[in-house]
Amino acid sequence: MEKPKKNESKKSFENALAELEDIAEKLEDGTLGLDDSIKEFEKGIKLARLCQEKLEEAERKIEILQKGENGEVASRKVSVKTDTGEIDDEEELQGSLI
Amino acid sequence: MEINSEVQFYTVTEINRLIKFELEENPRFNNIWIRGEIYNLTYHSSGHIYFTLKDDGAVISAVFFRYANKNLKFRLEEGMSVLVYGGLTVFEKRGSYQFNVLSVRPEGAGELQKRIEQLKQKLAKEGVFDQARKRPLPFLPKRLGVATSPTGAAVRDIIKVALRRFPNIEIIIAPAKVQGDDAPVSISRAITELNRPELNIDVIIAGRGGGSFEDLFAFNEEIVVRAFFNSRVPIISAVGHQIDHPLCDDAADVAAPTPSAAAEIAVPQKKDLSDEITYLHNRISTALMNSYSRDKTRLKNIISKKVFRDPYEIVNLRGMLLNEMENRIALSMKHIISGKKEKFLSLPDIAQIEKNFVRQLRHKFEMKVQAIHNLSPLAVMSRGYSIVTGSNDIIIKSVENITEGDSLSIRFSDGRVTADVASVKKEK
Repeated sequence: MEKPKKNESKKSFENALAELEDIAEKLEDGTLGLDDSIKEFEKGIKLARLCQEKLEEAERKIEILQKGENGEVASRKVSVKTDTGEIDDEEELQGSLI
Repeated sequence: MEINSEVQFYTVTEINRLIKFELEENPRFNNIWIRGEIYNLTYHSSGHIYFTLKDDGAVISAVFFRYANKNLKFRLEEGMSVLVYGGLTVFEKRGSYQFNVLSVRPEGAGELQKRIEQLKQKLAKEGVFDQARKRPLPFLPKRLGVATSPTGAAVRDIIKVALRRFPNIEIIIAPAKVQGDDAPVSISRAITELNRPELNIDVIIAGRGGGSFEDLFAFNEEIVVRAFFNSRVPIISAVGHQIDHPLCDDAADVAAPTPSAAAEIAVPQKKDLSDEITYLHNRISTALMNSYSRDKTRLKNIISKKVFRDPYEIVNLRGMLLNEMENRIALSMKHIISGKKEKFLSLPDIAQIEKNFVRQLRHKFEMKVQAIHNLSPLAVMSRGYSIVTGSNDIIIKSVENITEGDSLSIRFSDGRVTADVASVKKEK
């Protein structure tokens, strides 16, 4: 058994998906008892929800690393044109090489 | 031949100028490639390089000016086979022409290729290209690092493809110079920056779009190859087009043929993943429903059996059996009784049998009584026998037991006498 819920959400998307697939196979196998089937099913539903959340959770953010005056590198948010992938203020970036 | 004043002529300067114009403005002699071997090579202190190109049949002078050769990545050598790019120029004062070189490529196994090969062998010995150390890429990266020029086509392709496949992915760009003398240091520094732990980058793409052999050369430099090798974060090389194969490809965890392809490799299709989750969700629902309806059917089959449907059936059935048994017993008893009766009626008169039997018994009894009677000594004596006894009442069976003068008792069937012995005579 997995540890309590806190770790549930830390589970990687890949692991959660693999576990969901295992559960599907177990249930399809049809050898589980009714109680166990329901338990596994509930676990599966939770994993499916977790996976969907993981897909949605990252918010799109595009940053560019720049060297500051004191030589430190920091990141700065930039916007891009989604259709062309072009970075706005492209010209000024050439000078920002690190 | 006679020469008169009407004849047109050129001055030497004029003709050389004309030749210069004809050759230098003629597209057939400009922006062309020439193949040959380097001969009479001079690296001049001014930075210009002079040499003669030759093949089996001819030679041509060539000059490689400082402004043009500053990006040359390898040292020219005597006897080297090269392709040179440029155009013809005429040196008016001397009436000579030469090839003005803008770029040089080694031909075949040129020096540059040799250098790459040597570096490759050296790094291979260190295990830089070991297949065993290649790491799998993360399945679903949250943050993608990109080391490339911020203004090139490569970065645009990567951003475009990555966002199309997974609209909410985060991208961190480390701008690098990908061409020229500074490129190797710049690229390796960009890769190092993207490896900073606080950036939490899951996968890095490093590379540039397609270009000439020299354009891509930075990705063959040792410092760049090592930066790929040392990357803590899994790294994809994405240099040029499919035909280019710089050394960094072998040091990366994955080599992509183009920047777009690298983005496709690094970033999964969100829709595919979402579909996969929905599919699995449906599978577990269906599986649970199947096992539920299977159990339900089984239960239904069991409870629909007659015993559960009509429990009185059990009693009724037994009652019926009992009745049947009763009937059968009664019937067979009837048969038995009527059969016996018939037999009974067909028997001879039992009283007669008994009478005969008794008569026979009586007869037998009488015979026995007669036999017993015949054996009695009295019966024998009645036929004329008598019994002699001595004085001591002992029956005398021989004359030897008798002497003269003895007194004997003789018993008859109807009485006894006493007699004295007159004489004894033994016979036989």
